[in-house]
Amino acid sequence: MAHTAIEQAGSGGLTATEHRLDNGLRLVLSEDHLTPVAAVCLWYDVGSRYEVKGRTGLAHLFEHLMFQGSAQVQGNGHFELVQGAGGSLNGTTSFESTEYYETMPAHQLELALWLEADRMGSLLAALDEESLENQRDVVKNERRQHYDNVPYGTAFERMTALVYPEGHPYHHTPIGSMADLDAVTLDDARAFFRANYAPNNAVLAVVGDIDPEQTRRWVEKYFGSIPSYDGKVPPRDGTLPDIIGTELRAEIREEVPARALMAAYRLPPDGTRECDAVELALTVLGDGMSSRLYNRLVRRDRTAIAAGFGLLRLAGAPSVGWLDVKASGDAGIPQIEAAVDEELARLGAEAPTAREMERAQALLEREWLDRLGTVASRADELCRYAVLFGDPQLAFTAVNRILDVTAEEVRAVAAARLRPDNRAVLVYEPVTAEDTVGTAASRASAADGNGEQGGAV
Amino acid sequence: MTDAATTMDFYPKPASGQAKPWAFPAPERGALANGLTVLHCHRPGQQVAAVEICLDAPLDAEPDGLDGIATIMVDALSEGTGKYTAEEFAAELELCGATLESHADYLGARVSLEVPVSRLPRALGLLAEALRAPTFAGSEIERLVRNRLDEIPLELASPGRRAAKQLAQELFPASARMSRPRQGTEDTVARIDAPGVRAFYEAHVRPSTATAVIVGDLTSIDLDAVLAATLGGWGGDSAGPLPVPPVTADDTSRVVLVDRPGAVQTQLLIGRIGPDRHDPAWPALVLGTYCLGGTLTSRLDRVLREEKGYTYGVRAFEQVLRSPVPCAADGATGASVLAISGSVDTASTGPALDDLRTILRTLAAEGLTETERDMAVQNLVGVAPLRYETAASVAGTLADQVEQHLSDNYQAQLYARLAETGVGEATAAVVAAFPENRLVTILVGDASQIRAPVEALGIGDVKVVTG
Repeated sequence: MAHTAIEQAGSGGLTATEHRLDNGLRLVLSEDHLTPVAAVCLWYDVGSRYEVKGRTGLAHLFEHLMFQGSAQVQGNGHFELVQGAGGSLNGTTSFESTEYYETMPAHQLELALWLEADRMGSLLAALDEESLENQRDVVKNERRQHYDNVPYGTAFERMTALVYPEGHPYHHTPIGSMADLDAVTLDDARAFFRANYAPNNAVLAVVGDIDPEQTRRWVEKYFGSIPSYDGKVPPRDGTLPDIIGTELRAEIREEVPARALMAAYRLPPDGTRECDAVELALTVLGDGMSSRLYNRLVRRDRTAIAAGFGLLRLAGAPSVGWLDVKASGDAGIPQIEAAVDEELARLGAEAPTAREMERAQALLEREWLDRLGTVASRADELCRYAVLFGDPQLAFTAVNRILDVTAEEVRAVAAARLRPDNRAVLVYEPVTAEDTVGTAASRASAADGNGEQGGAV
Repeated sequence: MTDAATTMDFYPKPASGQAKPWAFPAPERGALANGLTVLHCHRPGQQVAAVEICLDAPLDAEPDGLDGIATIMVDALSEGTGKYTAEEFAAELELCGATLESHADYLGARVSLEVPVSRLPRALGLLAEALRAPTFAGSEIERLVRNRLDEIPLELASPGRRAAKQLAQELFPASARMSRPRQGTEDTVARIDAPGVRAFYEAHVRPSTATAVIVGDLTSIDLDAVLAATLGGWGGDSAGPLPVPPVTADDTSRVVLVDRPGAVQTQLLIGRIGPDRHDPAWPALVLGTYCLGGTLTSRLDRVLREEKGYTYGVRAFEQVLRSPVPCAADGATGASVLAISGSVDTASTGPALDDLRTILRTLAAEGLTETERDMAVQNLVGVAPLRYETAASVAGTLADQVEQHLSDNYQAQLYARLAETGVGEATAAVVAAFPENRLVTILVGDASQIRAPVEALGIGDVKVVTG
């Protein structure tokens, strides 16, 4: 294990302790007295994978409702109290989680705990039709702003729908569809809260300039009396065969400024050594300004403006490796795709050089230094490992696992996974405004319902 | 099941504890023999160091007809040097786990490096190489120019970027560099070549007019020795300050509608110009602008988002464009853009603009409340320790101060001044900044849907443009 930027790679001497309340709430504490701030992350083990057909987007819409008041907090009081205390806050919903954050000046920590406990224990006392209607409109505008009114904005949604078959819990993304958002009722929201927002379905991390004993007493005081709930239905099974078995493909003809080639590869789930190996493979291929794909497509062939690979780590289903190439000038997709395939095959045939491994590991180590470098993102990582893998300490050793992977393992996983019969391809072909009339739905039908058996189109 | 609301124990809202002292970090200022000004700041525990290089190469210095050359020049610094080809240089940086970004703007050009502190000396060596000996090879400049030409349509497809381009064109006279896109247009970028880039570099990049800001946990670094071996080897002649052209703007109330047939939302950008940070009323302006549109509970979002659901969020902000030394001999004064920005669904465009104008009118008529002012101060001052947790955030603000000719303790003093600013001053500043009848309104949306409802509001001329 060479090339570490700091002596105790990743952890930098950080530690965390774990506790559990009688009602099942898990608590993770990590002290860091460098700056007088404290981060609270409350991670509920619920995300869009729990949603059912006809109610996509419910988990995320519900996250918005969590900011609309609870028994002792009026209206937007949660925002007002945190910001008025000099704190910052937000919530986020993904396939596998719904997280709430407050980062506070250290002397205001107790307020954040009181606020989180109030809504965990008493949200339904304040939840009403008016908030639901208002936040439904807000979320629909969020969807328009981030997805529908942006070039390529629905690419991720389309690719997700291709790479996870119809009926799979990850087939749809957390933002949900407009029709399903319209369909959500107050009863849906109430039932969702009762089923998922219980202390035994959450992990609370408090990180920063804290007194651990005092923090434990506060958490016990404010959260301790909230009843647990034992009726939670587990998510539908997200496991799939390692390989799709055939290339799935859709061409989108839309009013976009440039051709684009995107692809989603089905990859090993988070928490496995193969997932760390494939992250290194994707970094060698497509992260930074000197990756193989950047050097090939942007610098040498000059067929692309940008070329990169990202990894979406998922614990309850295969992870996704996302290729994104925007074409330069008149360059055609077949030419770009052939070059990509050549580079992927080359990595599968021949292990990366020592220098390439060193570069990829340095970049990933840097990413971990950034993630553990603020109290808020450290709290997030502790929650993630506690909820998804049962052990928050894994956050501090994540970088060691990446540094431990060998070049041969990178080659092997590239050969096994980064192949044409294990991807969903999305091609964007620009059209002018006049052309789009009547063809807006494009040829994405190849995507929907094709699932495992879908043929290349 | 019983409602949890009835079964948990409730406690009154807790009082805050004793605040711990925190101050915006004070940098140490020095200079190298080559004339390079150096600000450094030790931040214990910050394992990722941040370096900002401020170059006196602002957009106004670009030769006529070559808009975008400052951007290409700073981007090209890392595309090949005396020692390394472009590919090799990028790989060397990434072997350090470093990221390097560059940007050219009205206040100057910036190169920003972030790297784990253990590899800071190596990365500073690379940065010095880029500043000292860029190759500007013809084929690399050609590639950057082509990339830039490819990126322009991608950027303009974004409603926010398109609106910003239109606002600049409306506010500033066509002769002013500020009226045109920072990174140039298809016409001007196409004219940029390697000799031109080198000439611009030679005219405007030298240590004597540059500043390096270095922030991070510097415990294990002998900074003087590292600097001597890296940035200390960068040579160059001296140069006087660049002229600072005055800024004028036309804020006649009017609407420009950029037509996007079929758009499901309308992007709003409503603005005019204001002062820079040297203005004594700046803290009051910051406070008042926060009360108007700083967050989800500010006046704009309280109605447009949390009551009406027209938007995911609308923000008011200020962005400094020009900030000369006060009392500069040529009488130049600073300027900023003051703006309100957000997007609303197409059908709500008319009602949202109407509400927005009502909010501004009410603000002017009734002023801010003491509670609003207190909340704003507590937030703006209180979040400082959070905001400045990382080395990059501290380095960014120190570099901003350098570019804007502010003192090294400006930010530290700003917090004290915010706390002293009363509700009357904050009201006066924000009302002066956003007068309902002196704002240019840019809308990017579907003209066939929104033109009539917008015209009915009587804001002023409504002009429709394409693109």
